[in-house]
Amino acid sequence: MQRVATLSTRSPRALDWLNFFVADVQTGFGPFVAVYLTMHKWTQVQIGFALTLSTIVALISQLPAGALVDAAHNKRLAASGALIGVIIAALLMAFQPTELPVLVAQSVHAFSSCVLTPAIAAMSLHLVGHAALGERLGRNARFASIGNGLAAGVMGGTGAYLSSQAVFLLTAALCVPALLTLLAIGRGPHARRQTTIPLFDWPGLRRLFADRQLLTFGVCVLLFHLSNAAMLPLLGATVTMRAGNYANLIIAACIMVPQIVVAICSPSVGRGAALLGRRPILLIGWVSLPLRGLLLAVLPGPWLPIAAQALSGISGAVFGVMLPLLSADITRGTSHFNLCMGALGLAVSLGAGLSTTLGGWVADTASIRMAFVALAGVGALATLVLWLTMPETTPDLPRKGRPVRPRPAADSE
Amino acid sequence: MPQRGWLAIFALLLAAAAPPADEVQQQVQQVQQVPLDQTLAILGHPVADPEGKNIGRLVDVLVGDQNRPQAAVIDFGGFLGVGNRKIAVEWSALHFAPNDPKHPITLDLTQDQIKDAPEYKEAIKPAPVVVAPEAPK
Repeated sequence: MQRVATLSTRSPRALDWLNFFVADVQTGFGPFVAVYLTMHKWTQVQIGFALTLSTIVALISQLPAGALVDAAHNKRLAASGALIGVIIAALLMAFQPTELPVLVAQSVHAFSSCVLTPAIAAMSLHLVGHAALGERLGRNARFASIGNGLAAGVMGGTGAYLSSQAVFLLTAALCVPALLTLLAIGRGPHARRQTTIPLFDWPGLRRLFADRQLLTFGVCVLLFHLSNAAMLPLLGATVTMRAGNYANLIIAACIMVPQIVVAICSPSVGRGAALLGRRPILLIGWVSLPLRGLLLAVLPGPWLPIAAQALSGISGAVFGVMLPLLSADITRGTSHFNLCMGALGLAVSLGAGLSTTLGGWVADTASIRMAFVALAGVGALATLVLWLTMPETTPDLPRKGRPVRPRPAADSE
Repeated sequence: MPQRGWLAIFALLLAAAAPPADEVQQQVQQVQQVPLDQTLAILGHPVADPEGKNIGRLVDVLVGDQNRPQAAVIDFGGFLGVGNRKIAVEWSALHFAPNDPKHPITLDLTQDQIKDAPEYKEAIKPAPVVVAPEAPK
């Protein structure tokens, strides 16, 4: 029991920091690529191609990456590999901003991200077990959003005052503390065969993809991001149109406010999901979407939308905690946790991709205000689908008499 | 003698690849040496407003049938990739100073003047080009 005791004090804190640093690393990549390549005299067509390639790679790697993490005996090793992939991608971007290296870097980074997310969730699950997972994921989301917010500020400043190249170097450098925290998590039960399965487990796969809970939740997730993803870009467009000189400041606030709200309320989301069940929490998160869409459509002036963005923090917190939590509920006892995360990640990518197309199209043919109304409508539909079809997935655990933080895993000697 | 055979082929290839001597002469004569401080490679360069504030990057140039540039496309504004738009501005509203390392490209328009300009999209024809107001000074 000695080892379990040290695990329960040291590993959770290491996992906090892992979430923090991985979020830092992820912030660095996306938004700076376009500016950086523009600076290196890439044409708009070339940049568009590189970004599309990255999106497509992310889309098609979700399922294989999930299956790979499921099959990996050591999730910590899988996460380390992914982080080393991010280092290689960031260094390629920083030192070789020419066609082939950048395309390779974009693909490597997209695949690594698809491995990292489920691997961290899997380590969390193995570390605390099913019963305490909600609370753990709440902490994960808190530290991830603190990392995201800080990194957005620091890297935004670095990109503006130093250079975009420095952003990629900083990204590569931040992978090192991320790797160290992985090391600090220690050789816990997560490093052993627990939910590990062979790469091709056809009957298991068939069972997973015929699971009604997964299919229903997948549809809800897709609709969530179909409503959610285009709101911030459209908001950015309206702010630049209305605000002039202060535009960048307001956009920065619109990005930061949700992160702060996520950092504040994720732990309560995790606890609430354990106490009240999943459905009420999910409904709160989903219903924030149409509300936010409507507020963004009607609020005047450049400053007030910042307040509406607080709602984005609520739906963000619920989504960040509930996606891995429901994956764990759905795959309980089947050892396809990471594949399930990958499948839901695929729904996220599809919804988000279609969202910007939908939002942009409505904004072009009607107006940006109508685009917000349309996105709010999709959000309302998502909430309705969730409310009418999504079953409660909380496994009925004997709550009383169970320790708050149960033994990490049943089969760790 | 396979080795000599290869040598012969190599020599033939060289002879075929190298242009006649007088042609080389002509090509060299056509090269014009432009001093470094007289030109500027503008693609991807930051663009400053009249007060010297950086407002975006020049990403494309629209050229008319008179072989003259008519407008420049500027990727304008935004923070962390959110809120930036491409806006086409009249070519004559831009001023180039290849000598000035700080603000080699200056635009006659301020951020406030172009903030509600329509977005430039390649698919849309004709392109909406922002024109500088008459004699602001």
